[in-house]
Amino acid sequence: MRAGTVLRAATALGGAALIGYGLYGLLHDHYITDPLDVLGWAAGGLVLHDGIWLPLVCLATVLFARLVAPRVGTLARSVLTVLAVTALALTAVALPAALRAGTPRVNATVLPLPYLRNYLLALAALAGLAVATAGWAVLARRRAGRR
Amino acid sequence: MDLKTSRTPRAARLQALLRRGPLPEGAFRSPLHEPRTAVVIGRWLGAALLICFATGLFSHVLQDPPSWLRDHLPSRPVDGYRVTQGLHVISGIAAVPLLGAKLWTVYPRLFEWPPVRGVRHALERVGIAVLVAALLLELFTGLLNTLQWYPWPFPFRQTHFWLGWLATGGLLVHVAAKAPLIAEHWRRVRPALVERRGFLTAVAVSVGAVTLTTAGQTVPGLRRLDLFAPRRPDLGPLGLPINRTAAQAGTTTAPADWQLVVDGPRAYRLTLADLRAMAQVTVRLPIACVEGWSADAHWTGVRVRDLLDRAGAPPGARVRVTSFEADGPYAVSELPADHARDPLTLLALRVNGEELTADHGFPARIIAPNRPGVLQTKWVARLEVL
Ligand code: HEM
Repeated sequence: MRAGTVLRAATALGGAALIGYGLYGLLHDHYITDPLDVLGWAAGGLVLHDGIWLPLVCLATVLFARLVAPRVGTLARSVLTVLAVTALALTAVALPAALRAGTPRVNATVLPLPYLRNYLLALAALAGLAVATAGWAVLARRRAGRR
Repeated sequence: MDLKTSRTPRAARLQALLRRGPLPEGAFRSPLHEPRTAVVIGRWLGAALLICFATGLFSHVLQDPPSWLRDHLPSRPVDGYRVTQGLHVISGIAAVPLLGAKLWTVYPRLFEWPPVRGVRHALERVGIAVLVAALLLELFTGLLNTLQWYPWPFPFRQTHFWLGWLATGGLLVHVAAKAPLIAEHWRRVRPALVERRGFLTAVAVSVGAVTLTTAGQTVPGLRRLDLFAPRRPDLGPLGLPINRTAAQAGTTTAPADWQLVVDGPRAYRLTLADLRAMAQVTVRLPIACVEGWSADAHWTGVRVRDLLDRAGAPPGARVRVTSFEADGPYAVSELPADHARDPLTLLALRVNGEELTADHGFPARIIAPNRPGVLQTKWVARLEVL
């Protein structure tokens, strides 16, 4: 057998062993009284992500490809992609903090910053850049067309 | 009506569906749903996951050392745990956009047809389901834990630990299954796909954005960019955040007859006045929280080593530290031998030049190098030589 094949099989077996150990631990941990809860949340996350979130993202990419992409150049398309992906990433990290900071807390040193304000400012900055990029790209196209 | 002709188109459609799957060819338009993009993002995500796994295991071992290891836990480097746990949370946060990008890239594979092509393929897909489900829940619980937000019915710590094994195992199975494809697309091909370059730039920028706006909770130079981290190392009473408040622990007032009990070959007790009359030492040590924030402070108090010597403790002894906090998982902790002997390890009475407040552990707390903040027991009532 080739070394590559051996390595590949060993990696797969090692991975299966880690999964087995993790499952065993999850099922036998004294603190986890109902492992089905964990299974439910894990499956629920998968369904929400792949069943609802990703179709929405795909819809957004289709709209972008139909409505925006044909009107702007390659560079502007890349810049707009950067801004959109960054906005999504910041939302994933900042929105939970903003939501949580809005609830009463016993410990004032957890979440001491104005998270909602910071989040909205970051989104506004990204949106401003996006509008400027798109506007500039559309104008540049028109000017090039007239010449 | 002729039954045959009315059924044939429908049967034909059904047959075609079984042959091709529910989605028509080319349902996904983006040219980025392809292996090279999956490999580049996969490498970044794989690295983040492995860093999380290694640093997470380290943190776990420090908190629950197996008996064969507990006498070998080093108290140096001073900032060791601060760096590993800081990296753990930084990599975990970076993994959020990476996982999102990776799953979007490979989304069409979910609708692959036929869904299963044999035993090996079925196992590969089960492995993928384990990997994705475990990693999604792992990142979700980890992120919310840093906010001290627990909306789920299971315990955080144990679940996060076991999910880490499932995700890492799933990663190894996944990489083994895709090995030929990964090898084929490991190197860049020219000319590069323009869209890919734009997308990878976007992913890299988004990782940079979430990192720079949160890492200030542990990386000193990034504090000014800290917009979204749940902690700021300088915000809190006496310029230091608090993990568990005195109100939460039921320790807002220390017992009026508080004394420190030191148990060992020559047991003794000390009042607060006795402790204050002993040789005081000031050290600079970080509080490095499991939740990923860390903050330096100047601690003043009595060397634990001196207290142990007076009790006649043997040099290799571990020390059990008990709080007068009623209960809670961290009311009791153990100092490994190396930490107990370290000249930086104090029973601290003051922080940043002021007497400890109730939230910081009045009348006395443990502070030692290279260990999780949850083990730096506050409201200490008793030291016990083991
Ligand atoms: C760390 C977490 C990772 C997750 C959650 C993940 C997730 C996925 C998923 C869900 C698929 C689709 C599988 C299918 O049904 O065919 C996939 C495909 C793939 N992954 Fe990963 N992956 C990870 C890491 C990696 C790494 C480290 C690499 C390589 C360096 C990699 C390379 C690939 C490749 C080449 C494909 C096939 C893409 C295609 O057929 O177009 N992945 N990944």
